[in-house]
Amino acid sequence: MKKTLILALLVLSPTIFAKEIKVNVQGMICSLCSQGVQKKLSKVPGVIKSAFQLGKKEGDVKILPSVVITTEGDNDLDDKFINKLINEAGYNVASIERK
Amino acid sequence: MSKLVWLCYFISLYSFAHPVIYKDGTVVSSSNMPSYSDNQVMYSWSNRWSSGINHWRFTKGKNNTDMGFLKLNHLLYRYNGDDSQANFYVHGGVGIADSEIERRQTNEAFMTGAEGDWETRTLYTSLKHYYFTSPQVTDLAMTQARVGFAPYEAEFEQIQTWFMLQAMYMPDVESEVIITPLLRFFYKNVLWELGSSTRAEWMINVMVHY
Ligand SMILES: [Cu+2]
Repeated sequence: MKKTLILALLVLSPTIFAKEIKVNVQGMICSLCSQGVQKKLSKVPGVIKSAFQLGKKEGDVKILPSVVITTEGDNDLDDKFINKLINEAGYNVASIERK
Repeated sequence: MSKLVWLCYFISLYSFAHPVIYKDGTVVSSSNMPSYSDNQVMYSWSNRWSSGINHWRFTKGKNNTDMGFLKLNHLLYRYNGDDSQANFYVHGGVGIADSEIERRQTNEAFMTGAEGDWETRTLYTSLKHYYFTSPQVTDLAMTQARVGFAPYEAEFEQIQTWFMLQAMYMPDVESEVIITPLLRFFYKNVLWELGSSTRAEWMINVMVHY
């Protein structure tokens, strides 16, 4: 019973403790642009998934292109790291939102 | 119309003006028309510099001029806007040329060029100019301009379609400006274009980012 519980915790922990970081990116205007960011993120340990949203206009409000990075709880990518990664892909970070 | 679009999706293949991409990225591209072809593999070792190999073939009548280069590309300027992007690149290459136009001979060759583009999610413009010289073989210049628009804004996982118009001038190969309406598609890391000039010359281009 105890073993099962530990096992279940181990299996579930990445999802239970997963964190989402939303990075708004300037210049990432098409899926081709996003490829570089996606490729780089796929190589970062602890990153479970990255979901891209291209920019759009809702009424008069401009919504910037963004990527939502899901990480295992213990891997909190810091702002400096995220900035470097986005810059290496060729784009600029406008803002970072953490949940 | 939809049949034509689907046909293009499957049989057409090409190239975006992206000589430098993300750090550690590789671009393979092939651009082809009856009067020229441009094939290249470029590796970006930073987000500003890339280098690789580039083969050009210019066809005048039945004669070909082939040129192979080791090429260096530099992204001199990049503007990242909220919903737009602009780039300015410069290029240089050294290699060899082999021409049948005068008489067959192989000699050293050099190329240089510059290109700029500006695009939003629905508008596109670009201009590029290349100059090739092989002192004892030939000199060639090429200027290409494009405008385009996208009828819809695709999501990340959808195919994006563009309508474009290309004007190309290669005075040493063709005396007239070649005007080519074309369709551009891209899906994730693959981009392909299919066009036909106003004089019914085909154009097939494909580009893949790795
Ligand atoms: Cu793009």
